[in-house]
Amino acid sequence: MRRMLRLHRIFVAQYMKNLMEYKVDFLTGAISFLLGQIVQIATIGIIFSQIPHLDGWSFEEILFIYGFSLIPKGIDHLLFDNLWSVGYFIVRKGDFDKYLTRPINSLFYVIAEKFCVDAFGELLMGLILIVYSVIMLELTITWYMIPLFIVAVLFATLIYTSLKIATAAIAFWTKSSGHITHMVYMTNDFSKYPTTIYNKVVQTIITYVIPFAFTAYYPASYFLGEGDPLFRIGGTVVAAIVLFVISVLIWNRGIKAYESAGS
Amino acid sequence: MKFRKFIRTYRPFTRAGMLESVAYRANFICFLLGEIMSCFIMFFVWRAVFNETQVFSGFTMEDMVVYLFITFLTGYLTYSDGTYAIATEIRDGSIAMRMIKPCSFDMCFLFQELGNKIFNVLVIFVPITAGVEIYRYVITGEWQFNIAYFLLYIVSLILAYLISFYFNVSYGFMAFYLKNLWGADILKEVIVNFLSGATIPLAFMPAFLETALNILPFSSLSYTPVMIYMGMYSPSEIVYRMLFQVFWLAAMILLSKLVWKHAVKRLCSQGG
Repeated sequence: MRRMLRLHRIFVAQYMKNLMEYKVDFLTGAISFLLGQIVQIATIGIIFSQIPHLDGWSFEEILFIYGFSLIPKGIDHLLFDNLWSVGYFIVRKGDFDKYLTRPINSLFYVIAEKFCVDAFGELLMGLILIVYSVIMLELTITWYMIPLFIVAVLFATLIYTSLKIATAAIAFWTKSSGHITHMVYMTNDFSKYPTTIYNKVVQTIITYVIPFAFTAYYPASYFLGEGDPLFRIGGTVVAAIVLFVISVLIWNRGIKAYESAGS
Repeated sequence: MKFRKFIRTYRPFTRAGMLESVAYRANFICFLLGEIMSCFIMFFVWRAVFNETQVFSGFTMEDMVVYLFITFLTGYLTYSDGTYAIATEIRDGSIAMRMIKPCSFDMCFLFQELGNKIFNVLVIFVPITAGVEIYRYVITGEWQFNIAYFLLYIVSLILAYLISFYFNVSYGFMAFYLKNLWGADILKEVIVNFLSGATIPLAFMPAFLETALNILPFSSLSYTPVMIYMGMYSPSEIVYRMLFQVFWLAAMILLSKLVWKHAVKRLCSQGG
């Protein structure tokens, strides 16, 4: 474990040097992500300028759920973004050989190699929204809520990462799977709003099939006083562990099926 | 004669673009499914909104659904990859190869992209318009489809695409100065989506902003064709808005020529 952390630091440092070459570009990227969030929040603001409640939720409650959804998404984006490249081009170009010939776990190596600074836009926005809505709603924070919040965020992140690992691993058989990752990943936007606004089909899919509802709405609604932490927080933990085990199994089988491409 | 030569020069580019899009059709369809998800999310959000109120800034639920999906369709069809394609060529130096070919730089891109679009149009145009019209029929009990508005929409859509193309080409030339355009490209997407009405109808915005955005070129990219399709504009408004599109198209072509002239002097290929 200590060796892994040390290696991770070296990878990050290496990657930062890379970034520094194009720093204006990356700064613009981070600002753009932030701006994208502001636009979406402005849309919600415009909606609430004409109606007091959306399906029984107030503006601040919606902002809390929305802000919560950005935190696990941002952490996953910050640390584990290289998984996208596996599905898009690393396998197709035969570059995956590199990861197999080094004396470290291939999954760890892929994940640790890149560090995505532009995720700070999402993380910052998420924190601002959470703090703002907690103050406006005058939520009472009890001591055990803080560890529960951390647990919920960590396992929600694991849901994102597991889905990316599983879909990226498909590339070991099909050579390219970035578009499948994209399709699954885009479902996360459903989690930004209360699950109650969707119909039964969508609700079932985002709870039991691609469980993105556990990355935001379910845990966030617990903190908004909707009760039942067993399902809302416990569900997040269970969903994350199950998905992670499945995705690692797929990844390991995939590596056995991997055939190098190109010259 | 000149026209035939023009066609003969650029047809191979269209063909190449078409073959390219057919080769990657599975990717395209998965990508499309991922993107259209946001339409469905907004559909549910608006359904919840219209549970609270009948009319929202002059839009009914039915209008909103048409708006969401036709905006998505318009955005997809007018999308131009010019910025990214040009930035990549500038970065890896392959732009030099384009410059020595005996054909116009922007025309090559245009015809290649048109070829790319043929397949996309076939796959998404009919399902989305048919879906929207069936939805309208189910809700209102009669067919709302208007052939005149539809044809005007097509014309306006083509104008919108050309504006988008030349805007993206001009923007892509910025790579001559910035070298890497990844961040600036995302920034452009976000700003254009908001200002063109692709995120939310301009009619929902504060009055001063709506007036300003109607004058800026961005509304020509998405809002104008969609409003025409929905029959929201009177005939005189349609003429006025389309003349506006023609004006901005001319302005964008001129801009791209000027930027090209200036930027090409600074070309410094990084390898390649």
